[in-house]
Amino acid sequence: MTGCERYTDLIGDEVDGTLDVRARPDLEQHLAACPSCRALLADLRRIRAAAGQLERLEPPAHVWPRLARRIEAERATGRPGGHRVGWLGPAWRFGLAAAAVVAVAVVSGWAVWLVDHRGAGPAVQTPAAVSAAAPATAAAGATPAAVAGELKLAAEHYEKAIAGLQQIARAGEGSLDPKVAEALQQNLAVIDQAIAQSRAALQTQPASEPAQASLLDAFRTKVGLLQETIELINEMRKGNEAGAARIVQGMKKS
Amino acid sequence: MQAADAELVTRCRNGEPAAFEELYRQHAGRLYNLAYRMAGTPADAEDLLQEIFLLAHRKLDSFKGESALSTWLYRLAMNVCLDFVRSRQVRAGRLTDSLDDDRPGGPPAPQTLPPDSVARLDLERAIAQLPDGCRTAFLLHDVEGLEHHEVAAILGVSTGTSKSQVHKARVRIRLFLARRHAAVAE
Repeated sequence: MTGCERYTDLIGDEVDGTLDVRARPDLEQHLAACPSCRALLADLRRIRAAAGQLERLEPPAHVWPRLARRIEAERATGRPGGHRVGWLGPAWRFGLAAAAVVAVAVVSGWAVWLVDHRGAGPAVQTPAAVSAAAPATAAAGATPAAVAGELKLAAEHYEKAIAGLQQIARAGEGSLDPKVAEALQQNLAVIDQAIAQSRAALQTQPASEPAQASLLDAFRTKVGLLQETIELINEMRKGNEAGAARIVQGMKKS
Repeated sequence: MQAADAELVTRCRNGEPAAFEELYRQHAGRLYNLAYRMAGTPADAEDLLQEIFLLAHRKLDSFKGESALSTWLYRLAMNVCLDFVRSRQVRAGRLTDSLDDDRPGGPPAPQTLPPDSVARLDLERAIAQLPDGCRTAFLLHDVEGLEHHEVAAILGVSTGTSKSQVHKARVRIRLFLARRHAAVAE
């Protein structure tokens, strides 16, 4: 086995099928005399062949819709890389999901307008943080009355979108496991509570940007949960339990 | 950069509806497999896939076309995956709990692996326990089928380093499979 290290690179090249013809006689002479390196070469060839035949997994269908929503959200909040035209594509243009997109597009379009008119997007804060936050001034150049008007308009758009989504979700709720449906209702109740808290904070501090951001964030969260509920209903109706389980898992993580 | 890549990137930059989804559909499969074999679970792979494409969306304007779009995406993907794996290792308090600790100590015994020892599941397990450096090179070269010069461009190393990392990975996988077969046989 002495001197085998010298043939490491050549054995690697031979496995890859790229061995230089000038080096082949030297390697073959060594292999003829060295059972260890012959065994190594045979095994590495098998490992390479098996690696190339490993199962090819497909990303679950729900990844793109979720990614599209995140891209839309980033665009709406004015983070770097945003584009002016919506990215949502054909995968969303079918069945119940289409209605959800229409609703979100209304909201997102308005949100872009809001960002363009008010500068950088607001930071996301929890309702608990809102009550503790110091009063903030409205964006430069915008009067408190104008900001309040914009926020009111945003709230109306979100509420319109949410109403449409809720209608779709309620129509299909019978397809859900009762325990899952109950958990979803509880989550919606928590979000509704957050919306109520944000509204209450805005009653006392109408110009508070954290409070405004929190309200918009709560609306976005509710839209997202309702969209996932509709995805779940779709999977259950198709009898795709694995797909439904993945969505529930995703809901638990988010 | 290929003409088709350039056209798709231009369409994305111009904000054409569905262009980014087309880019996703073209590359998500390969990147998902890579993320799955780096992360180890489908759930983490899904999260990583989202992060990879979110980052790609943010950085698309910085893509200069000096390499193929797939190379650029693989590079982003590898950075996201390695960040994830390393932060998980730090959280778990272990940085070297892998085959990196298994020094072969010279050539193994002169017999080949038994015919049934390169089973898919065992191979997946062996890959999962490789050190990050050689695992990335092995996944890109032997699993994804890229050439060494492409692996080198993605990982930012020389072609020689890519070759040596892939060889190291194969040798460690062989050792893992031999030990596993011996343990089952006992």
